[in-house]
Formats: sequence, structure tokens, C-alpha cells
Amino acid sequence: MISVRSLSFKYAGASEPTLRDISAEIPDGEFLGIIGPAGAGKTTFASCLSGIIPHAVRGDFYGAVLVEGLDTADNRLTDISRLVGTVFQDVESQIVSSVVEDELLFGLENFGIPRDEIEERLTFALERVGIAALRHRTIASLSGGQRQKVAIASLVALRPKILILDEPTGELDPGSSRQVFSLLRDLNRDYGMTVVVVEQKIMLLCEFARRLAVMSEGRIVRDGTVREVLGDVGALEEIGVNCPRSALFSSLLAEKTGEDIPVCINADEAEDAARRLIG
Amino acid sequence: MTELFQYVPGSSPLHRMNPITKIGLTLCVCVAAFLTDNLFYLLGLLLFDLMIGVVGGCAKKAFSVLKGLVKVSVFLFILQALFVRRGTKLFWIITDEGLLTAAGVVLRLIVVCLPLTLVLSVTQVSDISGAMVQILRIPYAYAFTFAAAIRFIPQFMEEMSGIMEAQTARGVEFDTKNVFKKLGMILPLCAPLLVTSVRKSGATATAAEIRGFELRKADSGYKKYGFGAVDLAALLIAAALIAGAVLIP
Repeated sequence: MISVRSLSFKYAGASEPTLRDISAEIPDGEFLGIIGPAGAGKTTFASCLSGIIPHAVRGDFYGAVLVEGLDTADNRLTDISRLVGTVFQDVESQIVSSVVEDELLFGLENFGIPRDEIEERLTFALERVGIAALRHRTIASLSGGQRQKVAIASLVALRPKILILDEPTGELDPGSSRQVFSLLRDLNRDYGMTVVVVEQKIMLLCEFARRLAVMSEGRIVRDGTVREVLGDVGALEEIGVNCPRSALFSSLLAEKTGEDIPVCINADEAEDAARRLIG
Repeated sequence: MTELFQYVPGSSPLHRMNPITKIGLTLCVCVAAFLTDNLFYLLGLLLFDLMIGVVGGCAKKAFSVLKGLVKVSVFLFILQALFVRRGTKLFWIITDEGLLTAAGVVLRLIVVCLPLTLVLSVTQVSDISGAMVQILRIPYAYAFTFAAAIRFIPQFMEEMSGIMEAQTARGVEFDTKNVFKKLGMILPLCAPLLVTSVRKSGATATAAEIRGFELRKADSGYKKYGFGAVDLAALLIAAALIAGAVLIP
């Protein structure tokens, strides 16, 4: 479980804080999506959850983040990393090896995963992320999207208790993005892994996440189930978040007809809602 | 230029050789080059270097590196020939000893540099660092730093060429033939490039830390680096090269 208590953070040299008095609880097994306009503080918040802030970033850190009871400020980043796996927004910076297989082995070797378990974990991560064919390729020969998959696979292989991903599909095509989210859903469901994803592709988040947090100007301004958050499309548009068209459609239907139309989070639900109205 | 330090996949005896043996063989070539004063022996070492390239399946790269080194050597040769005044004067201020010394210096430079780049063509950097930790018991932090530095060179050059291409697209004449003008345009780019690189290396250090870098032990490596017949053969060749350098006058 991650517990965030009155968290504020101001980068060294910045005049304004990036995060302002955030409090939140992320229970075990949660699949949380974080959305918000550019500059809302999403990446900074994700860095606080993973312990990178305050350990590797200079600035004024107030409040506390507790990961499984460990205060991220009082414990070494290495100790926090035993529990939390993090995929950076800038994939290039995350890769430390020159070959795909070595990149996955790096964490497995460091954390002392038993030798007889390593091959199974390697194969699982490579296959599930869809890069089994790239196992012996050099990183330099990969495209941006393939490197992103390698970065994700290297964390998946570690099977941390909590997985934090900052825009993990930024360089991926729609098919690969969906594949990554399917994998996250399976890890969440089958292994009880807590997944926190910062993502701009709201349609994907709505389909796979159970809970959505909307950030704006350094605060969490909306927090609830996907349907609860999408229930107020007007507020989301005001914040600067593009709502899925299905949610806009159901909202418009409800407004025009005066009927109690449930929030639609995909095209099928929107179609069903329209059919029910027509009779 | 970026492919200079890149691994060329293959299954040659050199690819199969233990990384430590390859480094040892390279060092022995270097030592032999410095022990001998015989120009013909140096030429023999150069041929041996090229043979390594052929056996390792990277002959094209070996010749391309050789071409680059020859270009640098021309400048070095002229300087050496001009500054060494000993021996019999042949013409102007050039002496026979000056020419022989210059030839020795450039041959040594080529013989020493060539195998160093070829080792990286037939060995993954991670295997070099892994074997350094496992066999030589070098602390992992040093081996990792070495591997990161080697990996960083092509990245650095890619970034530089990316900046130059972007500037060329916006009208900056990087394709000018005037070397001094080109240098004048490149120098201002060094500061932002350095800042970006330092920032990137900081982020990579964090990435390593969050994947348990500090927990690493000498025996953490998954891959095992053994020695075989090919390593024994390399050891004998290395010994022969050193012996030849000492014994051949």
C-alpha cells in the first residue's frame, strides 16, 4: 500500500511548488491511472511515489510518502526499489546495457533472483511484452517503440509489488499500447501487482484502470472509479482533460433527454445506451 | 563513426573466446609493438591485426579503421620526420633516421589502436565488464562505469550529429569545407551537449540504482565465462608475439 500524506514538492530553483498538499491512499492490488494536462505535476507525483524524489532530485520536499510502511525519505532508494518498479518517461535514460537480454538481466542479477528462476522470468517478460525476437539484439539497433518495450520488460521481469509507469506507451503504436495495457491488467489481476500509470491516452486508461486520479496545478482534483470521474465531463474539459467520446456522448444523451444514462466508457456501451433509448 | 564501438554479431572463434583472453591478446599486441624496433616486425603485427579482423568477420570495419588511422598518421609522420634531426641528411632537413623513427611511430600507433577497436567489434561490452568482475574480481562499480562509458560514446556522437542536422536544416552551414569555420560553429554546441549528457548520465545512474545496482555482488552475474581451447591457442599466440618482439632484432 502507498500512503501519501500532505505531499508538497518544489524543484530547486523553481519559484512555485509543483505538487501542493496531496494526500492519497493507493491500496494493494489497485490499478490507478493518473491523467491531467501538461504541467499538472503527474511525472513529479510518480517520482515521489517511486522514491526518486527526494533521493535523486533536489528540491523542497514536505509531507510523507509511505510505501508498505517505509517512509521514502528515510529509507534508501535501493530499499524502496525492492518494492517499487519504475518505468521512466525518458526511456533512453533508463536503459543501462547495450543488449536487450543484458538489460533484463541487470535487475534480476542485482536483486539476487535465483539462477533457475531467471530464464523463466526473462522468457515471460520478453514474450508478454512482445519482444522475444529481440532478445539478442543490440539496443542501438532498436526503434524508440522497441526500446520502450525493453524498458517495460526489464521491470516486468522483476515482478515488483508495485509498478509505476510514466507514459509507458508514449512511443508505441495503438496495437502495442493495447498489448502493454493488457499485460499490466494481467499482472494486476494474476499477481496482485499494484499498478500506477501516468498516461495521456485516456481511452486506454478508462478501459484498463479501475481508478482514475485527475491532476491539475499540482493537486489531485478528481479521484474515484473510472465511471465516477468520467461522470463530470464538464469539469474534466475545464481542467483540460480530453474525455473519451463515449463519455461525452452519454453525458450529452443524459442532458438532452433528461434520462438517467450511465457513463459510457467505450463505444459498445455508448451503442447500448443509444439502443435502449430508441427502444 | 558511431559504428566504430559497436558490436558486430557473429559466431567466429574470436566471438567465442573469453573476453579476458581477448583483452589479454590485445594488450600483448600492444606490448609487442612497444618492445620491438623492427619495422618489419611492426608490419607483421599490423598484418596480424588485420587477420584478427578477417577471422572475426569484421574485415570491412578493420580496413575502414585502418584508413582513418592512416589519415591521422600522415600528419604524425610529417611532424616526426621534421623534428628528428639525427642520422644522414637525405634532403632539406629530412634525415634517414627521421623517416625510420616516423615510420616506427605511426606503425606502432596503428598496431596498438586497431585491435582495441576490433575487440569491441567481437565482444559485447557487457561481457567484458561481466568477465572483469567474475574472473579478474574487479569491483562491479568500476566495470559498470567502463561499460557505461563505452556505451555512451556512440550515444554522445548520435546526439551531436542530431544537433548538427537540426541546425543544418535551419540554414547553418555545417557542410562547409572550411575546417576553421566548421570548428567555430561546432564549439558553441559543446556546452549544451555537455549539459544534456551530464543530465542523462544522472538519470541513468538513478535508473541503475532503482534496479538494485548497490546490491550487486561479484558472483551476481548470470552468465559464466569459461576458458576453452580457443583461449589456449590465443594465449600461445600472445606469448609468441611477445617472444618475437624480444628476440627478433
